[in-house]
Amino acid sequence: MLHRLFRFHHLVLRWRSIIPEEFLALFVAMFIFAIPVSADMRMQNRSLFMHSAEPGVTTSYTVSFDYMSAQAVGSVDMLFCIDPIPYHECVTPPGFDAASAVFSEQSGETGFSILSKSTNHIVLTRLPGVLTNPSSSYTFDNIRNPTNTDEPFSIRLRSHANATATGPQIDFGSVRAQVTNSVVIETQVPPMLIFCVAQEVTDNCTETNETFYSNMGTLDSETTLVAKSQMAVGTNASGGFAITANGAPMSAGTSVIKSPTTPTESLPGTNQFGINLVANNAPAIGKDPEGEWANAIASPDYGIPNQFKYIPGDVVAYSPNVSLMKKFTVSYVLNASASLRPGVYTTTMTYIASGRF
Amino acid sequence: MKRFKSIVVAAFVVLAAAAYLVPAQPVEAQSSASLSIVPKKNYTIEPGKNIKDTLTIRNLDADAPLELSLRVIDFTFSDDGGTPKLMLAEDAPQTTWSLKPFLTLPQNVVIPAKGTKTINMSVAIPANQGAGSYYSAIVYSAGSTEGGNVGLSASGVTLVFTSIPGQVKEDLSLKKFGAYFEATQGKKTGYAFVTADKPWAIAYTLENKGNVTESPVGTITLKHMFGKEQVIPDVNPNKSLALIGQTRTFTACIKLKVEAVAFGQGTSQSSACAEPTLWPGRYSLALDVFYGQNGNNTQEITKTGSFWYLPWWFVIAFLVLLAVIAFFVWRIVRAIRGRLYGARYRRSSRRR
Repeated sequence: MLHRLFRFHHLVLRWRSIIPEEFLALFVAMFIFAIPVSADMRMQNRSLFMHSAEPGVTTSYTVSFDYMSAQAVGSVDMLFCIDPIPYHECVTPPGFDAASAVFSEQSGETGFSILSKSTNHIVLTRLPGVLTNPSSSYTFDNIRNPTNTDEPFSIRLRSHANATATGPQIDFGSVRAQVTNSVVIETQVPPMLIFCVAQEVTDNCTETNETFYSNMGTLDSETTLVAKSQMAVGTNASGGFAITANGAPMSAGTSVIKSPTTPTESLPGTNQFGINLVANNAPAIGKDPEGEWANAIASPDYGIPNQFKYIPGDVVAYSPNVSLMKKFTVSYVLNASASLRPGVYTTTMTYIASGRF
Repeated sequence: MKRFKSIVVAAFVVLAAAAYLVPAQPVEAQSSASLSIVPKKNYTIEPGKNIKDTLTIRNLDADAPLELSLRVIDFTFSDDGGTPKLMLAEDAPQTTWSLKPFLTLPQNVVIPAKGTKTINMSVAIPANQGAGSYYSAIVYSAGSTEGGNVGLSASGVTLVFTSIPGQVKEDLSLKKFGAYFEATQGKKTGYAFVTADKPWAIAYTLENKGNVTESPVGTITLKHMFGKEQVIPDVNPNKSLALIGQTRTFTACIKLKVEAVAFGQGTSQSSACAEPTLWPGRYSLALDVFYGQNGNNTQEITKTGSFWYLPWWFVIAFLVLLAVIAFFVWRIVRAIRGRLYGARYRRSSRRR
């Protein structure tokens, strides 16, 4: 026993000389990086009301916010940019113009007038004074809205102690807004969703084999019946597409062949109806999705070779963004137990293609 | 008998003449199942006003006409993504955000082979309707086919969103934030804190407890442990929405690839994530997003996070480097001890 203790001590001593604590501490220290988080005071209850949100029209803006710091305020700086982050470069929203703005109304902290104005910049000034009514709003007439309905814009707000909006800021914050058309006017190819289903389809949906059903043959407990259909889909909508498979499981009267609710291999001799959208070798049927758009895929549960599943309403294929034409081959497997009630088992699969939000 | 013969001959002649003169009725053609529709419509309508618009439907099939029946259904979200969960059942209860009572459109439309048809639709908002977001879906169903064991049918869906301006309840709260992997064939989506694969996107998950759909904007700042900083200027490049009640994951590409692609008779813009340049190590993240409807408070959500990108080649190289350093440290320690304790130490270390 004593001999073993000596050997253990000897072993530990050797490692102690190879990896000293100092080296170990240095190694551990490399993994500790704490980034401090700073939280600054922001103006609260910030909002912008555009009296008309139509793009390009000349309208009135009411900017509201609460001053937060109990310091005298002499000026307010309003900078109109696409990006709300104060320390980023300011890009003027396309079409926006505040150069002819007229200061028409003020409430809360009052006594302001316009010190300067330009296309995207308004500075309000007054004699520096302590805050008595911090919840304030300021209305400007004759401001032209941005023209881009796809992109929000922002007002970067800052308050200053002096009357010229220079020097250190007291409070800050950003207001976000977006112009919207009552009816969207399309300037380029409008978003569209192309979709086709048949036993066989071409990649671009211009042709199908005009066959909209499959005969799977005669059920028995030793053979797996198979069938396939195809669908092609494409969209230029930025949100992409989703295809759901709908329809009751296979049935003959009141006798229903149930479907696995998780991906399951084909099991002859059991009652089973399932689908997937990839190439399989047990049984040998199906194809992997065809087309160059890698972002259009079969849903994970329907994309496992030799594993089948079917839940009505499930999404079987989708793309998270633009995907121009992809072809999916759907494989169907049907197994039956010896005790399955005789009959003609049928179903109608309705594939529904929709845009995403 | 002669009279009977003449009646038969006369009848035959009349039938033959009728068959010649009356145009033949075609055998009922199989309906097409190839269509092109508008995937989404957005409107802003003040209470008491209405909008008249059109829906363009194309039949892509060169031979068969497209026979569609149209109906309006409600939908909600199916997960934390943008896939709508369609409420197809005839007896599905109407949602609180349903646009069904306000939307009018025809019930059937037939489009000839290779043809296009524009149908009228209108959305009329009652004067007393409260502000908020209202949405439903238009389903275009092609006729199903009888025959075989598996019949096939195709349907398309247009999602219709309407915003009624005014004072609304807006309430987004952040649930998750970090490096994110989009689904690829056979792999599921998900966040990762430590990853050997290079992440292409940063994501944030927001829960919408308001009565309007929300589409946040803002930036994400990505900073490597040794100081290199990168700003993702658009945190919602696809203008995705968080539906009412939804916990929605928004993804922003670390490197966004925008390109013009040919589609239909023109071009469209495609934006997708491209492989970013990332060095192994720890990345800190700072999220700054804004949301708020016109006339309502602008709300801001800020959050910091981090992730480790440790590819296997880097881990192996790091371990090898560590072993080399350990070896040299051991040699130095040995040399120092040898000098300090002389021959006695060298003998004992040789015995060991």
